[in-house]
Amino acid sequence: MLHKNTYLNTIFSVAIAFLVGVVLILAIGQNPIEVYGELFKGAFKGSLNFGGTLEKFVPIFITAIAFYIASVVKLFNVGVEGQMYLGAVVSAWVGFSFVNLPGPLHMLLCFVCAIVVGGAWALISGILAVRLNVNEICTTILLNYVAILITSYLVNGPLSAKTGISTTPNVADSVILPWFMSPSRANTGLFIAIGIFVLFAWILSRTTFGYKLRSIGSNKEFSNYIGMKSDRLILTGMFLSGGIAAIAGAIQVLGVHHAFLNGFSSEIGFYGMLAALISKGNFKMLPVMSFLLALLRNGALNMQRFTGIEASLVDIIITVFILIASMDWILVLFRERKKVRVQ
Amino acid sequence: MDYVVEMKEINMSFGNVHAVNDGEFTLERGEIHSLIGENGAGKSTLMKILNGIHRMDSGSIVINGEHFRHYNTKKAIQMGFGMVHQEFALVDELTVLENIILGFEPAKHGVIDFAKAREQINFYIREYGFDVNLDKRILDISVGEAQRVEILKTLYRGAEIIILDEPTAVLTPQETLNLFEILRQLKSKGVSIVFISHKLNEVMEISDRITIMRDGKYITTVKKDEITIPELANKMVGRDVTLACEKPPVHTGECVMSVQNVYVSSKRELSKIKNVSFDLFQGEILGIAGVDGNGQNELVEAIMGLREVEQGSILIKGQPMQNQSVLDIRNTGVAYIPDDRNTRGLNKKFSIMENLIANHLGKIPFSKYGILNKKNADDYSKDLVEKYDVRPRDPSLNVGNLSGGNAQKVVFAREIEADFDIFIAAQPTRGVDIGSIENIHKLINEIKLQGKSVLLVSAELEEIFALSDRIMVMYEGEIAGIVRAEDAEINRIGLLMTGGGTSAS
Repeated sequence: MLHKNTYLNTIFSVAIAFLVGVVLILAIGQNPIEVYGELFKGAFKGSLNFGGTLEKFVPIFITAIAFYIASVVKLFNVGVEGQMYLGAVVSAWVGFSFVNLPGPLHMLLCFVCAIVVGGAWALISGILAVRLNVNEICTTILLNYVAILITSYLVNGPLSAKTGISTTPNVADSVILPWFMSPSRANTGLFIAIGIFVLFAWILSRTTFGYKLRSIGSNKEFSNYIGMKSDRLILTGMFLSGGIAAIAGAIQVLGVHHAFLNGFSSEIGFYGMLAALISKGNFKMLPVMSFLLALLRNGALNMQRFTGIEASLVDIIITVFILIASMDWILVLFRERKKVRVQ
Repeated sequence: MDYVVEMKEINMSFGNVHAVNDGEFTLERGEIHSLIGENGAGKSTLMKILNGIHRMDSGSIVINGEHFRHYNTKKAIQMGFGMVHQEFALVDELTVLENIILGFEPAKHGVIDFAKAREQINFYIREYGFDVNLDKRILDISVGEAQRVEILKTLYRGAEIIILDEPTAVLTPQETLNLFEILRQLKSKGVSIVFISHKLNEVMEISDRITIMRDGKYITTVKKDEITIPELANKMVGRDVTLACEKPPVHTGECVMSVQNVYVSSKRELSKIKNVSFDLFQGEILGIAGVDGNGQNELVEAIMGLREVEQGSILIKGQPMQNQSVLDIRNTGVAYIPDDRNTRGLNKKFSIMENLIANHLGKIPFSKYGILNKKNADDYSKDLVEKYDVRPRDPSLNVGNLSGGNAQKVVFAREIEADFDIFIAAQPTRGVDIGSIENIHKLINEIKLQGKSVLLVSAELEEIFALSDRIMVMYEGEIAGIVRAEDAEINRIGLLMTGGGTSAS
């Protein structure tokens, strides 16, 4: 019943957001049908466009999962962007440095190092929150800047390819995640993302560890009384969150750019966070919301290219959508109406 | 007979649940009328309809001779209704005075006229003998005082009919007496009072008439003098209830837990518990009596590892266990029913099944290599729901949907099924209906019969007397005395609880 409502709610929100979009498009003197047509063409038509949507989907999806895992233990990890950057720069460094390792091992090392560094970075905020009661929202936001500036320093200094642009040398061919929908940059990182999603769906619902994470997040008092080590579990959750965010960064390096580019993200982590927030604690909604955001962003870029309509129009639609999706009022309104009518 | 209120054939449903089914209720001017029934019998719902909070589906309500159908709470206040809910609606940061006038402030030139408000409230305070300090903030006053503030609030708003929803559930015995004194004063001035409760002795003490509800249905209305407590219990539960179950004989063995010179701090003060020592023996029930807030909770939490022991030692089966983790303490064989089942005893976000397996999680057959075996967990919880008579019998339901009594059965089921030798039960029957109380008392006696030890903390003296083999009284964080049950007199225990008398051992 509840789940049905969530899906209905989403469809409502999307519909209303698009209606608002119609009004805006009319206001700037364009034809809404044409604009939306271009938007969807830009997101789906041909392997270049559809591949582009998939390419954007992967990091949004993974950072959404990362944010979700922290929220399971009641931590608000706004730092997924920074953790992703660190994961990216570490995997790039491992990727162009240890070139003598056998391919699969080398690739595994790229991911493991990224996870460790991203997780450790998230752990700083986690420890401050658990031990000293410092608000993790503040610390994760602030550490984002620190993380991004560190990567910026590295890519312009010790790790620079010295080619005049802010980038590291390219990673070894053996660690590259192949593109499967040329000419787009959609890469096999997609399957890693799906793997992570399935893995965590299973962990959360079917393992004692997942049970404990959910228990701590929903009632700490109860969990302590049962005898769980709540501090340790919360920190583990935060480490996993940072580690997963770092995987998104590693995929951007190994699958998309093949090197670390300074400032590559254009707010991927924040879109991931948004996808998780509008899913409202429903894990199954994460891929849906992430895909929706990815298609809107990619479609908008292509639309701008072909119609000259500003992509920022889509940003407005996205914003309206988020505003509406984060409110429960639509359904509440309907429920109240119904009640009155029954009487 | 002229009634102030006459409710007839009231029906109301929440979804599929028929909460009130042909409910009836009448109220005379200046009477105290008790409305009793088990949890979920529809008492509160019926009164919320009267108060304009819920809308009935069908039925008739006559108030002072006038017919009403639907009205809102504002109208109810105008008609002279006032309700004191179980959860108080007070603003912690405001003073008592500000809380009372909130929403109904007397104004002079657009400014609140505090002097006038104070004068008016002082009138009620004198008239009915309230003990309230108007200038304290809510967060600085006791629960009993907060409740008096709620009653004052209804009077200030002009209430002539006051509905109290289980008002004594949160009160100490002294505060209860104080409340009853106020209620009698109110009654003598012509105020009508509805007293919702399931504590039968209190009902017999205070009421003029009593209306009984069961499963949403009206059973009967009787005069207090024409009925006895066992008859009331029978009508309420629908069968004979024997609360005064026979106490099984004690066969005490060796000491399983020894608390030695323990000091524990509470949330607010250091060394709330001072130099407490006692032993718990195999096969006995040791009852800890005391007015709420005299350190019983802190003591139990310290034993369980949930609160730091400042000084002293706690030996469980000979091993020093003070300041160990909860898990380690549980693993030495301690099970624990916490006094607060809503936040600590149960995870309301989880299903009955998930709550039942919480302390067995890591063990076969519930999990192997950290992977849950859902089928075994489901089978196990189905069995337990059956064995402990949890209603409804569906372990996949969310625990938050259960009534107080059934929720407490889930806590008991989980803890009793654990491997333990020491069973700690804090306020095991608080907020639980009489049928479930009977069950819970049976369970506790069975534990004792198996040769295990029980530490029972209760603010209900009757419960302490019904179950305990030895009674320990706590007063202001110290042991006021330990008495064997057969030597204990209720008056003497009552005296010890309030700080009178010298300690005996």
